[in-house]
Amino acid sequence: MPAKLTGRPLIEVRQLKHIYRSGGEALKGIALTIDAGEMIAVVGRNGAGKTTLTKHFNGLLRPTTGTVLLDGQDTAKLPVAQLARTVGYVFQNPDHQIFHERLFDEIAFGPRNLGLRGDELTTRVDSALKAVDLTDYRDRDPGELSRGQRKRAALASVLAMETAVIILDEPTSGQDYQESEQIMAILQELNRRGHTIIFITHDMELVQEHACRVLLIDDGKLVIDSPPRELFRQEQALTSAGLRLPPTAELEQRLAAFGIHSDAGTVEALAASIARRSSQITARDSFKENCSGGAAACQ
Amino acid sequence: MPSITIENLTFSYPDCSSPALYEVNLTIEAGEFIVITGATGAGKSTLLRCINGVIPHFQPGTLQGNVWLDRATPSGRVPVARVSAPQLARFIGSVFDDPEGQIVSPIVEEEIAFGLENTGVDPAQMDDRIAKALADCGISHLRHRATSSLSGGQKQRVAIAAVLALAPKILVLDEPTSELDPDGTEAVLKVLFELNKNHGITIIIAEQKVTLLAPLCDRLVLLEKGRIALQGPPRKVFMHPYIFAKLGVELPAPARLAHALVQAGVLPPLDSPDAPPIPLTVEEAFTLSRQLL
Repeated sequence: MPAKLTGRPLIEVRQLKHIYRSGGEALKGIALTIDAGEMIAVVGRNGAGKTTLTKHFNGLLRPTTGTVLLDGQDTAKLPVAQLARTVGYVFQNPDHQIFHERLFDEIAFGPRNLGLRGDELTTRVDSALKAVDLTDYRDRDPGELSRGQRKRAALASVLAMETAVIILDEPTSGQDYQESEQIMAILQELNRRGHTIIFITHDMELVQEHACRVLLIDDGKLVIDSPPRELFRQEQALTSAGLRLPPTAELEQRLAAFGIHSDAGTVEALAASIARRSSQITARDSFKENCSGGAAACQ
Repeated sequence: MPSITIENLTFSYPDCSSPALYEVNLTIEAGEFIVITGATGAGKSTLLRCINGVIPHFQPGTLQGNVWLDRATPSGRVPVARVSAPQLARFIGSVFDDPEGQIVSPIVEEEIAFGLENTGVDPAQMDDRIAKALADCGISHLRHRATSSLSGGQKQRVAIAAVLALAPKILVLDEPTSELDPDGTEAVLKVLFELNKNHGITIIIAEQKVTLLAPLCDRLVLLEKGRIALQGPPRKVFMHPYIFAKLGVELPAPARLAHALVQAGVLPPLDSPDAPPIPLTVEEAFTLSRQLL
């Protein structure tokens, strides 16, 4: 269910501040807009304000000051139930959202609240379970699943809502490589079908491979809002925000001084560039060796 | 000298048709730093639980074979199953993925004292033991802090300090950095590396992502469906990219670059005598690339 193309941003955040009851100022004035169909990574150290920010997008938190508009409407004035139809949220800790004793019922909870019944409900739930590879556990107690499986169950319960926006807090932590790839493939596919995807992560390789835009949050402020490649050029800003360059980006930058370039951001592209450069150098050296005019003429 | 000898170990959880571990044989030397990896369900956590005694002391199931601990008691080599849980706690410390789940005290120093009190350590010794454990984990400054106010990386180092205070010979850690940010991850791995190098503590760590651990560890053990599929020093096991792909474990980028350079025709096959060693870090990968230019 892609959002209607209204010409206005899907999410608009204006001078958002959030102060927790304990007195901690978690967000110190954030402004940004998100268009329908974007795939955005939110990065930053633990406690930077990533989760606090994204919880404002579906009304789990309300601004202390400032506003958050969803499709032009002030989220402070919309009931949470209505926000939940547009913005799905997958928590970092799956146990914060799983509460049924049968996995099917867990996944069916949201769609049931939307009024789905019968075959339509069953189809919705079963396709969500299939997407996260948990069909075999359909009638089991979610409590019996491993933490990684419970994380995918939590994702399925949000997938089943088919919301226009899906927010995920560290969707791949605790998942193995294949499971991570599988989750990201699901999100890419949803994004291709028009869903807006916003995911929080510490994994810079994930950002490099899957995000079109990255928001770097540090100390409650939006420090950088750019495509991943541009973020990776600002190593200083990254490290001072507690993050690291992904290894391929770091290698690429260090090798750039030697004429190596890889726009694809993969080790294969780097290796190909090194091979080309290496053969150019070999050709030049053999020309120099065979040149009768002396070294000076060849420089 | 072997610290742990695992012999023909097979374990099945109740109501499971296939065993979680099947005829595993593994010898771990005292002072080794071992990383156990593999896809979800490969048996990483089960193997750790057999080593730290959670199996069979707390987890029901069918266990065959033995996990021998060397010098865990004055009488010499004994199977884990025959050492009492409190005795084991002094010999093997365990740390899990979720630091929230294992910290029980409101204040850091009370958390460290908790295990000491439970194992009957002389109160006169406690202050020194707490101070030393905190110092070894680089968190002396957190001693009087509320545990609830700590970052994930700080909490995980408190959890490590709490088991370290019991002066274990072996630390067993199940994905200790999976919930941590890059700073927290780096801090925890640095502590583990130093405990291993400076104090000779055997480190056995289960992890999905091996990129950061490869330069620190002596040996990688890859599990597949409860069996050991491949093991050896990282530079040796990284020679086999197809096994990593088959097992669903990501080969770290520096090693992938070396394989890509072979494919591109600028490096000889990595198992040939004139091939350079497989790089483990970005620094090593950079040096290798630089030599080709």
